[in-house]
Amino acid sequence: MAKTYQNPNIIKRLRADYFSNRTDTTLTLIFGACAAWALWNLISWGLLNAVWSAEDRDLCAHGSGGACWAVIDARWRLIMFGLYPYEEQWRSGIACVVMVLIVGLSCVPWFWNAKRISALWLTGFGIFYVLMRGGYFGLTPVFEQNWGGLSLTLFIFATVSLIGMPMAIVFALLRRSELPWISNTMGVIIDTIRSLPLLSIMFTFAIVLPFVLPSWMIGDKLYRVIFGYALFFACYQAEILRGGMQALPAGQEEAAKALGMSYWHRIGYIVLPQAFRNALPPTINQFVITFKETSLVVIIGFFEILASGNAAFGNSEWNFAHVEVYAFVALIYFVFVFALSRYGAYLERRMAVAER
Amino acid sequence: MKYLKYAVAAVGLAAGVAQADGRLETVTERGKLLCSGHNGSFLGFAEVDDKGNWKGMDIDLCKGLAASVFGESDGHLEIVPISWAQRWPALQSGDLDVVIKLSGWTQSRDTELNLAFSNPYFVGAFHVMAHAELGAESVADLDGGSICVSAGTSTERVLAAYLEKQKIDAEVLVFEKADEVRAAYFSQRCDGLILFAPPLAATRATSDAPEAHVILPDVLGLEPEAIVVPEGDPKWLDVQNWMLSSLWFAEINGITQANVDEIRANPPSAQVGKFLGTTPGYGERLGLSDDWAYNLIKEVGNYGEIFDRNIAEPYALPRGMNELYTNGGVFYPLTVD
Repeated sequence: MAKTYQNPNIIKRLRADYFSNRTDTTLTLIFGACAAWALWNLISWGLLNAVWSAEDRDLCAHGSGGACWAVIDARWRLIMFGLYPYEEQWRSGIACVVMVLIVGLSCVPWFWNAKRISALWLTGFGIFYVLMRGGYFGLTPVFEQNWGGLSLTLFIFATVSLIGMPMAIVFALLRRSELPWISNTMGVIIDTIRSLPLLSIMFTFAIVLPFVLPSWMIGDKLYRVIFGYALFFACYQAEILRGGMQALPAGQEEAAKALGMSYWHRIGYIVLPQAFRNALPPTINQFVITFKETSLVVIIGFFEILASGNAAFGNSEWNFAHVEVYAFVALIYFVFVFALSRYGAYLERRMAVAER
Repeated sequence: MKYLKYAVAAVGLAAGVAQADGRLETVTERGKLLCSGHNGSFLGFAEVDDKGNWKGMDIDLCKGLAASVFGESDGHLEIVPISWAQRWPALQSGDLDVVIKLSGWTQSRDTELNLAFSNPYFVGAFHVMAHAELGAESVADLDGGSICVSAGTSTERVLAAYLEKQKIDAEVLVFEKADEVRAAYFSQRCDGLILFAPPLAATRATSDAPEAHVILPDVLGLEPEAIVVPEGDPKWLDVQNWMLSSLWFAEINGITQANVDEIRANPPSAQVGKFLGTTPGYGERLGLSDDWAYNLIKEVGNYGEIFDRNIAEPYALPRGMNELYTNGGVFYPLTVD
């Protein structure tokens, strides 16, 4: 419960909130001491006693008592770019920046119409792909299985969202079709895929599919996995969107029908925009989950950022420094996921303005 | 796991029917060998250096194989990053030509999964490491103490069997991941730590104070590691076996990466001459060029050099039974005639 203060004096506020009686005071002291102790340990491990330079490797191997960030100094390119050829890693780096840039730009309201956003994504994605894959403009080709690290993680996330989102809209529309055989079939498909673990879907697409499909349809393992993942994403997202659609009063669509609007106009102008607004929080949630679960592809042998992190401490020199590498990878995940969820919060505020 | 096994077996049957052409021809035509890497790294066998290049004992064998087939590995070898679980399906589907990934030769793999194994190239022992301050000299001295092990691996089974057989009453603490097991041991939660010998040696060598830990001499179990190819392709399997044999033959005859040119110019015996391709025969029978063994040694050196470079020097692991029979080990070359 929010308290109101006549006098917003900070000391008085602290006293009122944390030291108002004996129990409060005791609890504050105990938890405060615990927090301070944890924070102090973290700082002294991570900053004060830490070893920063790769040249000081022997110092941190034999106990400086702090974190050994030297491993990041020595191996950061491996963590960021995986098995991408060393001389070409600048391409992977620029590709990452491009991807972050298009994601950033598509958060700007100016881009929020079908033409601008698709132009942005097609150009951005084209640049990303040409940079990574090469083969044009005198860039040496680098095949998908040598992609790795952060750029692979971003690529998987972006492609899955890009393929999965339109698929989800189609699924959601089919699911609420007035013809029962369409909506029921779609319902069965969605529920079947939702009841399977993501890992088994990825495994099936990566490994079992090549035996079933004709050879011209197989494609690279990476794209099969991305397609499987997009399908999984679409099924969850379709249900989220359907929830958003069902929250709309039925009268709106009926009124539109009565005005003689066609199906696509009704969907495009009335249903979908409001459905997206209603479904925004779970949609952001779904994106966050999707970003984090890209790490599952490590099981099928892709060198995404978790795998390249594993490789970074996996040699005789840095074998002891797994905590630091995992902390670094966690930090990268945190930056992206936190940005994503802050953006979601901003969107919600913005849309709340529209509703008022 | 069971269902996966049968799925892989079924897939293997289907693939066996589909691939009539031998793998050696397929590889030669493609101009590239697809060999197994790792998703991440496996100490000593498949690691990645600062520049993203693979190295390690398994990787060297991949390089050697590519050099045997193509004359040199550069441009003819693709190391495919692959997880443990995925290596068999990938082999059957043709995503890999050969699995050189520290894989134990077990009966179920050999029979149910339709895989063919070469002669083992590495014999891995399970050992226990203990804190030196305990003064333990064998696993029996840990009676009444505790041993850390990772869950769901063959290591756990080996430890249980050994403790039962030797009537040692030690508490077994099971952890999920390799990192956790190590952390538990180093934080004194258990007196001993059981691991496969190469990673165990690596763990000791890179710990804060290696001299504070002793690796006990007991061998709790053995696992023979072999090169794996799909069943039903004897020519491709022959190439694997003769490649390994050549590495031991070179070692026993003192042929190294450094002196192979010299020896080839002046072969000490007709047999060595034939081995290095000065007289025809050694390669032709396998469908390779006659100087393939020369290319192999030129590329990666003999078995001893591969072992020293990847395992012995970085991790201070003695060769032990991975020596040639002349030094008390279990390896020997096949006869070159």
